[in-house]
Amino acid sequence: MTNYLLKSIPEIHELLKKREIKPIDLVEEAFQRIEQHPEWNAFITLNREEARKQAIDLEQEEVDNLLFAIPIAIKDNICTKNLRTTCASRMLENFVPIYDAEVIQKIRAKHMIIIGKTNMDEFAMGSSSRTSYFGAPRNPWDSQKIAGGSSGGSAASVAGRLVPFALGSDTGGSIRQPAAYTGIVGMKPTYGRISRYGLVAFASSLDQIGPMSRNVYENALLLNSLVGYDSKDLTSAQREEEDFTRWIGKEIRGMKIAIPRYFVSEIVDPEIVKQQENVKKILEDAGAVVEYIDIQHLEQAVTLYQIIAMGEASSNLARFDGVRYGYSAPNCKDANELYKKTRQEGFGVEVKRRIMVGSYILSGENAKIYYDKALKIRQEMQESFEQHFQNYDLIIGPTTTTTAYSIDSPMDDVHKNFMDDIFVIPVNMAGLPALSLPMGFSKDHLPIGLHIIGNHFEEAKIYQLAAFLEKELDLDLEGEKVHE
Amino acid sequence: MNNYQTTVGIEIHCELKTKSKMFSPSENGYTKDANQHINEVDFAYPGVLPTINENAVRLALRAALLLNCRINKTMYFDRKNYFYPDLPKGYQITQARTPIGVDGYLEIEVGEETKKIGIHDIHIEEDTAKSIHHQQRTLLDFNRCGVPLIEIVSEPDIHTKEEAVAYVHKLKELFFYADISDCKIEEGSMRCDVNVSVSKDETLGTRTETKNVGSISSVGEVVEVEAQRQIEELTSGNKIYEETRRYDEAARKTVLMRRKETGNDYRYFPDGDFPPLVLTDEFIDSTKKSLPVMPDERRKVYQEYGISEINIEKIIANKPVSDYLLTLENTNLKIASNLLLGDIAAYLNKTNQTIEQTCFTKEKLKQVVQKLETNEISHNTFKEILTALFEKEESVDAIIQKYASSTISEEDLFSIVNQVIDENPNSVQDYKDGKDRAIKYLMGQIMKATKGSADPAKANRLLTEELQKR
Repeated sequence: MTNYLLKSIPEIHELLKKREIKPIDLVEEAFQRIEQHPEWNAFITLNREEARKQAIDLEQEEVDNLLFAIPIAIKDNICTKNLRTTCASRMLENFVPIYDAEVIQKIRAKHMIIIGKTNMDEFAMGSSSRTSYFGAPRNPWDSQKIAGGSSGGSAASVAGRLVPFALGSDTGGSIRQPAAYTGIVGMKPTYGRISRYGLVAFASSLDQIGPMSRNVYENALLLNSLVGYDSKDLTSAQREEEDFTRWIGKEIRGMKIAIPRYFVSEIVDPEIVKQQENVKKILEDAGAVVEYIDIQHLEQAVTLYQIIAMGEASSNLARFDGVRYGYSAPNCKDANELYKKTRQEGFGVEVKRRIMVGSYILSGENAKIYYDKALKIRQEMQESFEQHFQNYDLIIGPTTTTTAYSIDSPMDDVHKNFMDDIFVIPVNMAGLPALSLPMGFSKDHLPIGLHIIGNHFEEAKIYQLAAFLEKELDLDLEGEKVHE
Repeated sequence: MNNYQTTVGIEIHCELKTKSKMFSPSENGYTKDANQHINEVDFAYPGVLPTINENAVRLALRAALLLNCRINKTMYFDRKNYFYPDLPKGYQITQARTPIGVDGYLEIEVGEETKKIGIHDIHIEEDTAKSIHHQQRTLLDFNRCGVPLIEIVSEPDIHTKEEAVAYVHKLKELFFYADISDCKIEEGSMRCDVNVSVSKDETLGTRTETKNVGSISSVGEVVEVEAQRQIEELTSGNKIYEETRRYDEAARKTVLMRRKETGNDYRYFPDGDFPPLVLTDEFIDSTKKSLPVMPDERRKVYQEYGISEINIEKIIANKPVSDYLLTLENTNLKIASNLLLGDIAAYLNKTNQTIEQTCFTKEKLKQVVQKLETNEISHNTFKEILTALFEKEESVDAIIQKYASSTISEEDLFSIVNQVIDENPNSVQDYKDGKDRAIKYLMGQIMKATKGSADPAKANRLLTEELQKR
């Protein structure tokens, strides 16, 4: 097997430009790598025929940008025209969209090649990708461990070097947490940066698509191509064009960085706190100022998430009724029976649980007691973040409280499962951009992620710090476990 | 039985007259075939998002301004959640918290009195698809799905059949004139739900809602028969239940559809797909300025021209005629409206055309009206030349000359010519001084005196001869 896909994007670009390799070489290598690791279960659907056809067609095109002909994996909740989009659910097992998500159109405009659709938690509901109807993806560092979730398949595909890039979606940490568990770079951009048009909605006010990659520079490079105002998404932001790689390599002397005390409290695995302290020291040695702060309501993030995300989800998933598309229960005598049976049989346990909780939360007086109150606390949390960003450039902490855990660990302790996401959720609540960067390994050689949070639309500053640390830490992220 | 007071509140849904739908770019308009005006948004495809039709917002704002509402300058959209096959998203986008207009009123005239009916609120929402029951199956047509709607909720300020009819009639007239909606009740672009309760004292009785009443006169009938039914129930010792009813026009009675369950739970909550929509002062001002001349203003103008009340209402009921009158400057609208409502309408009806499709231009109409006003031609002459006015491109004068039957005898014309010459010694002097305009003026006088029935060539010849004799 060739090893072109282990090279950096600029290196691959040079080879393509000099015509030393063809797009089809990259595509074939990606499919070979995927076939070598069926145990990771990273993909739900492979785009074999179309990807090969596209690669051949691209031979006639000019190699006009760095992402030209680069293979990419797409989380299976982003609609791809004529390519099955399941959301890892029986409900959409045979669903083939008639349109492309806005972000897919942008990827196609760059002539990137979609290799396949990645495994995930059903409708992105979960933290370990184990609620997938197609079985859980595994962590390439240890296939007995979870890859995280909900973008677990995307994370595994990049961590296992099956593809250089993947798209994920992040409603309550679903890009950053699996990125941390699998030792890759995952960015959730500012809410509104990337059009949500074509992303199957989970919680509309929190959902955001983002890039997942092997390193910081390539992450920023891909983000450059994904952003932009979209008139089809009212929540998308109108911003001037910018190059997210522009501060990569710039020194960080004088940068003011805050660590919320809660992020290094006793709820965090000591091994992770140790890595965090190491990062703090590197930053201070480089002339950055690092201080501890307190942000309001952080400890309530999970509760807020349960109320807001599930309330929104209960409404967003109402459209799956068996009438127009997706699974439709056979032999029903009337519309009500069709709804009940379709939803009973089409949705998995976790999805149904969340729809029920969400419906309960929005019912009658509960809407005021829970939902309106949650919105108020969410507002206060956002204001607290904003206040701190008047004094600090960036906020950091660990991405997760533990490393990737066993694929066989119990799933029934719902609250504990959400604790996986306690640090990542507040970022969605505040609509901020944040990235997970590998910052070290545990004793049993599982990756640990550093969480870097920026102010609204300050992704470039996040990349600046992340790139600096990446260079200083100089971790071996390919490792034997990935490439035996 | 007479000491019961009837109280009525009316909810009206109006489809807005826009090119595209409320939250998607697909077309809003009539089509014969089902499922033609749809796209992935109307179909509630996974992953789609709503956009806002700015023109629909403008029309809703017009309505709110016409109904004297306080405008919510920052608006949010909410979701009303329920399962029904004609509701593809499983929720309807509406404005529960911040309706575009609140606390307004509409003035109606009942008999000699003017009365204000309070408007609780007016909000923007989207229409549902249509369920068509066909044999054992239900078919769905999504053409209507997502069509922009406004719902106007009145206060319970209506107490009689006449008031109810006047309210709906007035509202329909306003919206129709402001181009907000087609307001076709029979075709469903305007739908009335009538809430009726009766009570012997100040507290309101339990109300029923009669949905989708099919015409304005039926609205009045519903008020009458439903109040009657409730009074009869109460006097026989029965209770009134909160229920949804429909009106059976043939039987002249309301019929129970379903009793309202307590706690009908729509799980309203803010729709995260919408950032707050801010109506700028510029937007509100330009909307105010874009309002066409409304019926009451037009009525005043017509009254000034001395048009009869009956004809005024005929004109108002015929918006194309009323709009046409608006464009006629310095013209006697009484005469013009008589022509437009009478002979012209009859011709256009017969030939199935609009006036714009004929040769009868606005300029020609103005000339004809003027000639009628100054008695230059008679109404009989007008009738004689009517077809020619529509069908010939010639000038009005030429048409009169060609198509009006000249009834005046040579003898009569001779004496009229001499009479005109006698009455205008100054013009005779002007003629002798070689001023051409004298002839023109005198000819005008002759045509006027003969009501256009003289052959102008002949008259001209006679006039010149007679002038030379002086």
